Amino acid sequence: MHEFSRTSQIVEAVLSEAEKQHALKIAEVEVEIGDLTFLGLEQVRFAYEVLTEKTIAKNSRLTIRRVKGRGRCDSCGYDGPLSYLDDPQFHISIPTFNCPRCEKPLSIYAGRECIIKRIRIMK
Amino acid sequence: MTHTVQGEPGEIFDIELDEDLKRANDLLAEKNRAELHKHGVRAIDVMGSVGSGKTSLIEQLVRLLSARYRIAAFKGDLTSKIDSERIASLGIQTVQINTGRECHLDANLVRKALEKVDLSALDLIFIENVGNLICPADFALGSDKRIVVISVTEGPYMVVKHPFIFVDADLAVINKIDLARPMNVDTDKLSADVRVINTKTAIALTNCRTGEGVDQVASALGLNCVS
Repeated sequence: MHEFSRTSQIVEAVLSEAEKQHALKIAEVEVEIGDLTFLGLEQVRFAYEVLTEKTIAKNSRLTIRRVKGRGRCDSCGYDGPLSYLDDPQFHISIPTFNCPRCEKPLSIYAGRECIIKRIRIMK
Repeated sequence: MTHTVQGEPGEIFDIELDEDLKRANDLLAEKNRAELHKHGVRAIDVMGSVGSGKTSLIEQLVRLLSARYRIAAFKGDLTSKIDSERIASLGIQTVQINTGRECHLDANLVRKALEKVDLSALDLIFIENVGNLICPADFALGSDKRIVVISVTEGPYMVVKHPFIFVDADLAVINKIDLARPMNVDTDKLSADVRVINTKTAIALTNCRTGEGVDQVASALGLNCVS
C-alpha cells in the first residue's frame, strides 16, 4: 500500500550511495522484502521504473528477494518457518503466528524486512 | 612494496549496503517508547478499519478510566477534525495528527504529537490510527499495546482476510455485538479465527454505543477501572 514511498526511499538511498562512490551508472539494485510486509512487488517495480526514469539508475535491474516469515518459540524452543492454514473456502493460505509445535505465540524475527542488500555500479 | 589497485572507467563494482529501510521508523518508535516509559506513561495504539468503532471505543474507555488515569488522545486522520473534537468534548487533551495522504501513522508523527503534550501530567495515551487494516501493521509507533478493533458489520471473514494486522496485536475488540444477529455473523467464529492466527491476542466483545464489554477491554489492557 505504501510502495511508492518505500520505493522512493530505496531510490534515494541508492542514488546517494552511488554519488559517494562516483558511479557513472547503476546497473543493478538488490533488495530483500519480507513476506509479511504489505509491499506488492508489481507496484514496487512500477514505482522503481518511474522514480529512476531521469537518474543514473534508469533501466537498471531491480532484483527482489522475498524473505519468508520465521519465528522462535520461547516456550518449546521451536525455531523455523511460520505455519499456514490452507482453507479451501477462501483459496488463500492464512499465516498463523502461533508455534506449529505447541501453539504458543512465536516471536517473529524474519519476514517483515525491507532491506537494500547490494548495488552494482559502473564507474 | 605496496600495490594499489583501482577501478578503470567502465568497470563494474558491487557495493554491499545492507540498509534497512524500516530501521529509521523502528528506531524512532523505540525512542518514543523510552520517552513514554521515562514519564511512566502507557500508550495504546488503536487500529481498525474505517467505521469499526475506534473513536467510540476510546470515548467509552475515557469515560470508564478518567477518574483514575490522566488521559490524552492522539487522533490520526487524513484531514478532518470531526473525531478529535468528539474526543476532546470529554474534557481530555487531544492532539490531531493529520497524515494528509498517508494511510497510517508512523513513529515520527507520534514523536511530534508527544512534543505537544506534557508527559509528566499524563498516565495514559490512546493513539487512534488511521482507519486501515493493512498499512499500520508495518509501522511501529512505540506504544505498549496494540489493539485491533473489528466490527460485525464488516462481515464474517474480517479476521481471516486481514491476518497480518494481528501479528503485533495484544487485543482484538469485536465491536457492535448487538448487531451480530441481524448481520448473521457468529462472534464465536470471529474469536476462534483470531486465536488461530495469534494466541497472544486477547479478545473482548463490545458494544461501544452502550459501553457494554468496555470494562473487559480495560482489564485486558491491564488498566484498573475501579476509582
